[in-house]
Amino acid sequence: MKLPPLRRIALFFALLALAALVAMPMYWLVVSAFKTSDEIFTPTPRWLPAGLDWHNFVEAWQSAAFGRYFINSIAVTLAILLLQLATSSLAAFALARRRFACRGIILFAVIGALIIPIQVTFLANFITLQHFGWLDSYPALVAPFAASAFGTFLLRQAFLAVPEALEDAARLDGCTGLAFLWHFLLPLSRPTVLAFTLVALVAHWNDYFWPLIVTNRDAIRTLPIGLAMFVTQEVTTDWNLLMAATLFVAAPMLVVFFFTQRYFIRSHMHAGLKR
Amino acid sequence: MKARLAPYLYVLPALAMLALWNYYPLVFLVDLSFHKLDASSPVPAWVGLANYRALLADPLFWRVLGNTAVYTFVTVPVSIALGLALAVALNQRLLVGGLLRTVFYTPVVLPTVAAATVALWIFNTNYGLANYLLELIGQPPVAWLTDSGRALWTIIAIGVWKTFGYFMLVYLAALQALPQAVLEAARLDGARPWDRFWSITWPLLRPTTWFATVIALILSFQSFDFINIMTQGGPSNSTNLLVFYIYQHGFQYFQLGFAAASAVAMFGLAYGLTAVISTWFNR
Repeated sequence: MKLPPLRRIALFFALLALAALVAMPMYWLVVSAFKTSDEIFTPTPRWLPAGLDWHNFVEAWQSAAFGRYFINSIAVTLAILLLQLATSSLAAFALARRRFACRGIILFAVIGALIIPIQVTFLANFITLQHFGWLDSYPALVAPFAASAFGTFLLRQAFLAVPEALEDAARLDGCTGLAFLWHFLLPLSRPTVLAFTLVALVAHWNDYFWPLIVTNRDAIRTLPIGLAMFVTQEVTTDWNLLMAATLFVAAPMLVVFFFTQRYFIRSHMHAGLKR
Repeated sequence: MKARLAPYLYVLPALAMLALWNYYPLVFLVDLSFHKLDASSPVPAWVGLANYRALLADPLFWRVLGNTAVYTFVTVPVSIALGLALAVALNQRLLVGGLLRTVFYTPVVLPTVAAATVALWIFNTNYGLANYLLELIGQPPVAWLTDSGRALWTIIAIGVWKTFGYFMLVYLAALQALPQAVLEAARLDGARPWDRFWSITWPLLRPTTWFATVIALILSFQSFDFINIMTQGGPSNSTNLLVFYIYQHGFQYFQLGFAAASAVAMFGLAYGLTAVISTWFNR
């Protein structure tokens, strides 16, 4: 579908204007993070800071246990990713490449879990964790996300695409079962594995809801919770400090996204398969 | 024997975890909703439908339901329409199209807490950028988050800003997977772009639109982060949405039985709506 040149130009400028509007909050976040307090409260907002004031980042970092939150976020996200990759690839392997009784029902149960979000189950899961005596600990942050319906589904689709003949050939060479999964299926499905990993990474690094429910002390809080507390308890409203803190919480995922965009796009390809 | 058992062992970890953390909670919630469990009754006591009766008798519940309905019926169509329009536009392979796509998707990967913090600053009544921009076009300042007639619309705007990029990417992926031969044939027949879109592209995108609508519905029912950080449901409950209402009863008032009944009601509503929409799409 190609438009006439004049309309293409009009469309281009309309998109440019919309992009400016959409990017504005992110631009304002970065600019405010580098301003001094004097530059923040001006009757006419300044579009550019007078200079790059790195001091805000140091001061914000030291105003709360951000170092601790960072380590916690990394540990929790990593643990969730490893568990999800392990459980998802095992289940996807069986669901894509093996015939067994109840396979259809099991696949249906996995896909069904896709539409049961934590916002529905949180009360029950909170009480379950209380029974386990796990509240306010790393396991409470990780365990409910040990399996991923989305990951299982996505990997199954990828594994289905690997030809049967390859498995037969590998079997002749003595490479069967889990060895085949490890040496052939996973490497051959690398783009899908990466796409899922990145989407899960962003989701769990950014997660605010669940850590809010189960954490009650600084030692195990993650970055989003730490930032939210910093924002809501900061009575002085030093917006430059708040923006600096926001920036170092958001930056890791933004950097990851900018360098791995094509995998994010790939993770959406399967939406079209659900016909 | 080992080979026959193996597939079950492979699916076991995932299935056990999904059963424990996704399916069991549904059963547990329904059971809990028939019990009284709060500070005055630390051991669950069977109360039948009392929690549901209390829920239906709570005027705030109806207010929250109304807020959630407004939020859902605005954010779902607006973010999907915006996503589709941008996907079609970017599919034209314009100059710097890749860069524009990146800009539109960036809010999706931003942590909600970060988005909420920036929004608090931009919509600050006294020093915020939003009121300054209004002033530039000669408008009086607005209490974006503290005016009960406006706060929900501010939250809606932020919600759309945060999610439309996701639908844009879903549609872009779908557009690129469309059968090119059909589109090309229509073009050679001399159909105008607008007609071609409505009579060919749009019907072919139907499964994608169904998928996007279901995801958007579930996402909108889940909205919580912006509310908790920016407004706490206020002013005067004008931005109190279902998940926040459940959270308040569960974790601030410790009425777990009542909160469970509200969660069951939300689950029923969200999936009832999803079922109705799916039936309509697949008729």
